[in-house]
Amino acid sequence: MDRNYHVFSDGRLERSDDTLRLVPDDDGDKQYIPIENAEAFFLHGQIDFNTRLMSFLNDRTVALHVFGWEDYYAGSVMPKRGQTSGKTVVNQVRAYEDSQHRRQLAAAIVKGSIHNMRTNVVYYNGRDHDLDSVIEDLEAAAARVDESLPIDELMGIEATAKKAYYRSFNQILPSEFQLTQREYNPPPNEINSLISFGNSLVYANCVSAIRATALDPTISYLHEPGERRYSLSLDIADLFKPVLADRVLFRLVNRNQISESDFETELGSCLLNEAGRKTYTKAFEEMLERTVEHPTLNRKVSYQYLMRLEAYKLKKHLLTGEAYDSFQRWW
Amino acid sequence: MTVADPVDRLLATARGEPVNEPFRVTGVMVQYYYVCKRELWFESRNLEIDRENATVVRGTRVDETAYSDKRENLHLGMISLDLLDDGRVVEVKPSSTLTEPAEMQLSYYLWYLDRVADIQRDGVLAHPRERKREPVELTTERSEKVETAIRGIHDIVSQSSPPPAEEKPFCDSCAYHDFCWC
Ligand code: SF4
Repeated sequence: MDRNYHVFSDGRLERSDDTLRLVPDDDGDKQYIPIENAEAFFLHGQIDFNTRLMSFLNDRTVALHVFGWEDYYAGSVMPKRGQTSGKTVVNQVRAYEDSQHRRQLAAAIVKGSIHNMRTNVVYYNGRDHDLDSVIEDLEAAAARVDESLPIDELMGIEATAKKAYYRSFNQILPSEFQLTQREYNPPPNEINSLISFGNSLVYANCVSAIRATALDPTISYLHEPGERRYSLSLDIADLFKPVLADRVLFRLVNRNQISESDFETELGSCLLNEAGRKTYTKAFEEMLERTVEHPTLNRKVSYQYLMRLEAYKLKKHLLTGEAYDSFQRWW
Repeated sequence: MTVADPVDRLLATARGEPVNEPFRVTGVMVQYYYVCKRELWFESRNLEIDRENATVVRGTRVDETAYSDKRENLHLGMISLDLLDDGRVVEVKPSSTLTEPAEMQLSYYLWYLDRVADIQRDGVLAHPRERKREPVELTTERSEKVETAIRGIHDIVSQSSPPPAEEKPFCDSCAYHDFCWC
């Protein structure tokens, strides 16, 4: 399958014949990284690279996702795809400009996102937690989703649902890991930091998935295009955050695999340190490799491939007019 | 100039005559017309296909290696065909199942050569795996079948939506499989 490689050390990434070589700053051993089947490289440390490396990655259609220190996701260097598709972009823009069509797609995304949040809450409800009121709130929010609503109202419904959903975190997680409030830049405590880091990994993986389909990652439906660079990735990531990032978070925290020593706290900001990022990333990659029987493809597919399929589904909808049903966890 | 019949439009396009809506048919489109009309629609929209797909790779490899010593590739407008050293048009198939699609693709090449370039050639349908070759000739009957196919192809590709998916035995090895069924 398409693999992600995470580089945590500082150093230099360079092309060495037909592989990549990582030369660490601390005079440690050089590491060779196979590029076969690579989907993307995630750079977490301070890495130098040159144009020779860039064209190599471009030829092999491998993306680089750069993770900064404070805001986690810093940006991507995307390979030009051999097959860009003008027709796809034209249809993407048409759907965006037709406000009815845009609302229909945005509503589908919000519906899927709430459904996937709800699945997590239902999973933990009954395991000594009383989350009935959260489930009710999520269902109430889902019931309000309607294709005729303007985009900002759809956004508002999703925000309301998220608020209710995050209430459940305090019950699901042990008392030292409480989510008093969801805050981003910088995250003020451990849980906020874990959510931010996980979401940025989901986001970067969606960027990779979209790249594989010749969809334009900047033309989106729920989020405003250009709001951030790859706003279509924000749309699709909303569907997958509960399934990927939040499940990894619950598991790691509840099994004490992440503790306070995995964070660096200073002046009201709390960030995962290198050890914490490594632990999280490992669990996250394992999650991506999990498979599930797909109802119409008649085979098992990995969670990672589900993101690719979501991009395919959207593209198919835009090019054929066949209905788009957003990804809703079915297992 | 507005031309109504798809066959005339195709010929006008191929001859470089001014047409309002040029109409092109490639060999692979003829093949897909007989294999799967949904696949034909996808192909006509230039949807990118999954090059990693094992069957696609296999098909390409057989095409590339068979008879490579004595083949010449000829690009002529919307078609690209292989000629044997005796001048016959050869179409190589990885297996002998789905013979009709390959035969019709070859017939289309012969028809195109005849109508567009006034070159009359015979064809050979080759199955290298089975060491079999079948001669294919452009009879009147075949010509008519080609023209019916061209009109049929036009009907499919001018629809704004593809024909709905129907499960076929070769779906599993189709390059559009995941896109089609996701
Ligand atoms: S997967 Fe099957 S139905 Fe879909 S395009 Fe391919 S052959 Fe046709």
